Amino acid sequence: MRQLRRDASTSRGAKAPRFGRHDGSVWGKLARTSVGAGAMIQFLQSLVDGLMIGSAYALLALGFTLIFGVLRRLNLAYGSSILVGAFAGAAVFAQWKLGGWAVAAATLAAAVVAGIYVERLCFWAMRKGAAIASMVSSFAVWMQLEELLALLFPERTLSFPALVERSVFVLGPFQFRTEYVAMFALAALLMAGLEWTMRATRFGLAVRAVTEHPEAARAMGVPVARIAFWAFVVASAIGGAAAYLMAAAEEQVTLHSGMQLTFTGLVAMMIGGIGSLRGAVLGGLMLGVVETLAQAHLGGSGREFAAFGLLFLLLVLRPGGLLAQDFAARDAAALRRV
Amino acid sequence: MLELERVTRRFGGIEAVKDLDLGLAAGARLGLIGPNGSGKTTVLNLVSGVLTPDAGAIIWDGTRLDGKPAHEFARRGIARTFQNLRLVPQMTVRENVWLAQHTLSGASALRRGTKAERARAARVEELLAALGLEAWRERPVSALPLPQQRRVELARALAREPRLLLLDEPAGGMTPAETNEMGDLIQHLVPPAMALVVVEHKLDLVAKLCPRIAVLDFGRKIAEGTPEAVLREPEVMQVYFGRGPDGADA
Amino acid sequence: MDDYLLSVLANIGMFSFLALSAYLLLLTGEISFGQQAFFAIGAYASGVATALWGLPFVLALVIGAVAGGAAAGIVGLLTLRTRGLYFAMATLAFAELVRLGLQQWIYVRAIGGEPVGPNGVDGFRGIRYVFEHSIAQREFLAIIAGLLALVLAAFAIAERGRLGSLLRLVGADPLLAETQGVNVKAVKVAAAAGAGAIAAVGGCLFAHLNTYIEPRNFDIMLGVHSLAYGLIGGLGTAFGPILGVLIDVGLLESVRVFQGYRMIVFGGLVALLLVFMPRGILDEVRVRWLAAPWRRRRGSMARHARA
Repeated sequence: MRQLRRDASTSRGAKAPRFGRHDGSVWGKLARTSVGAGAMIQFLQSLVDGLMIGSAYALLALGFTLIFGVLRRLNLAYGSSILVGAFAGAAVFAQWKLGGWAVAAATLAAAVVAGIYVERLCFWAMRKGAAIASMVSSFAVWMQLEELLALLFPERTLSFPALVERSVFVLGPFQFRTEYVAMFALAALLMAGLEWTMRATRFGLAVRAVTEHPEAARAMGVPVARIAFWAFVVASAIGGAAAYLMAAAEEQVTLHSGMQLTFTGLVAMMIGGIGSLRGAVLGGLMLGVVETLAQAHLGGSGREFAAFGLLFLLLVLRPGGLLAQDFAARDAAALRRV
Repeated sequence: MLELERVTRRFGGIEAVKDLDLGLAAGARLGLIGPNGSGKTTVLNLVSGVLTPDAGAIIWDGTRLDGKPAHEFARRGIARTFQNLRLVPQMTVRENVWLAQHTLSGASALRRGTKAERARAARVEELLAALGLEAWRERPVSALPLPQQRRVELARALAREPRLLLLDEPAGGMTPAETNEMGDLIQHLVPPAMALVVVEHKLDLVAKLCPRIAVLDFGRKIAEGTPEAVLREPEVMQVYFGRGPDGADA
Repeated sequence: MDDYLLSVLANIGMFSFLALSAYLLLLTGEISFGQQAFFAIGAYASGVATALWGLPFVLALVIGAVAGGAAAGIVGLLTLRTRGLYFAMATLAFAELVRLGLQQWIYVRAIGGEPVGPNGVDGFRGIRYVFEHSIAQREFLAIIAGLLALVLAAFAIAERGRLGSLLRLVGADPLLAETQGVNVKAVKVAAAAGAGAIAAVGGCLFAHLNTYIEPRNFDIMLGVHSLAYGLIGGLGTAFGPILGVLIDVGLLESVRVFQGYRMIVFGGLVALLLVFMPRGILDEVRVRWLAAPWRRRRGSMARHARA
């Protein structure tokens, strides 16, 4: 992911020729007449780039949110379990020189298998109410998976087949990189698919019921444990897809990404508000935009600083996340039990 | 000692307590009755500082307390029990009660061996013995049956040596025999100087403990006086028993 | 005692401070992924104090502890309204902000002809106090042990009196604590500051023993580990987190055979352990059971006092 950022900023460095090329267009005229337009265009470019990478972040956040909504527990092994998927895809590519669908299938399958391992050991096996223990357990498994990957892939970095051929197409004063457009399109498709699943299928209904009120759902005959399992599978698949898209865009996978994937998803989920799928999408997009803007103006470490700074600020000012309900109202409801 | 002046509290669109006026002198005993949802527990929550009124004043010894955090109420000598029981499950019976003494003057958070501390520990033992909890003293409270848990709550509140004791359905979930026992214990253990407010559904218990009762309905006080007088008022009969003064259904 | 064993013990000692720091917050009901931030603040502040300002070690220790405690107190104040998981994330975000900030902080001076001081990403070289004052590794280990013993003694005193139980009450049921007269907000901020100071002391020792620190030392992994120690070792007593450290470091050393498989083995063991003991090894129930004989004796003494 760091590599991407550097490429983006160098491409934006070539500003002068760009305006010269679009002499006759509306944008070009606008650019030449207004003083702050250069900065404005750069801002909008960052916005667009940010939204595209943010779509992948949104997928990560969705996976986290699904698991949290259904299990009320945080899965710290999420990033590394989907990284297992990405490495499996890379291995398929390296070993059998297969491309496209085979790699994607391998990525998703391995991510789901790793996810099931985490679910069984860290969540299903835990007693009710041992939320913290689950979290620590998932952290332990995170370390397990990272070490496993380090052992299996001592090179630490593998190349990954691109989804579409890398090129740039230009629309007005803006540049679009095909791999990111493809990422955005596929991510959007997946999000739409997930939304449909949540709204139109019985599984989705069951997931929403369990998320809202596990006891009531149980009382109504919803097999909570089984729903949790399948939610985990779906979350792992979505995460695997996110990992695939990101790896394809960078054309490589690195071991270090495990931590980044986990915390990106976590931060995005937090920004949008825990438990809300819409919030996850919003959080992911917003994080992508903030990161890209920070990168453009503050450089590499500025990006991370902006992400965590935003998160900290949000958590202090709006402890429930952007789309969360008013805390006071929730407190009042809880107090009525007293 | 305690004055509630036109206290109002809303939850969303519902007025749980509306324009409530209530007064309590030192050592007074007041029963608070009313149908479910009439706001009795809300009143206790307001008087113990757990909730803040949306309007009106809560005055204690001449000082306005409304708006202050709950620990300010507690420190001034207000103690309470909870309808749904709030004990620390993994702590023992003795520890739950002993912990409550930390607000007493001279009580230490750190020292154990001093004379004052030993007296406090002795007082805890007294309370436990008086409430028949001696056998349970080292058990975690989660292991106790409900009536015993209610006694622990009572012991904990009494250990604070409060000036005002608020009991929220102290006999909730108990059989008539257990209720009777609880009533005797309360009468025996609450000293004359301690004011008492009892929220209860069981009218015989309230009548036994409190020479004065107030009736709430939908957050408003509809009657106040001696149990005999109040229970004969038409509005009260309507609300509680659903029938008019001549016994016919309303 | 050979050097290797000494360094292992020193590590156990220093990480125990971190573990106790996270433990204190856990008692008051807060999960913190960010105690490494105060470890770092303590390390850097005390390092600057000795290496750049030439202050004596004890003063540097105090400066580090105050810096860590103050920072933690401020974070505690800011996050009063933030609960549960959100609080955990806020501490994590803060810790990363500290680490990133240290990556940018450059405060280098020439001391004795050489550049000394925090140098952003390249770290802080030249914390040579132990060499300049000829403190042997053995002696430093004694300092670590002594300070750790002090902290443990403080915890023990708190657990004997009501303070320990009051902290646990705040953690278990803050509303109940309020109605029992406990100023929950004040307790939480005080506990946060105390935890920050404890972590900072560990950081000071870490900086001076290693003589070189860099921001990379204080990453999220360190923070989650410190939390894990308490949760594995048990929250019933301050020795729980120490036990957690012992298990991790002990296993690390004894499992040298496994070399590259250490995390796989350790991770798996931890996951399994937590299935059977979700509140850790020395959890409240087990500690109570272990301490039962003493309690019964104390109880009968109280009963005799009544007579």
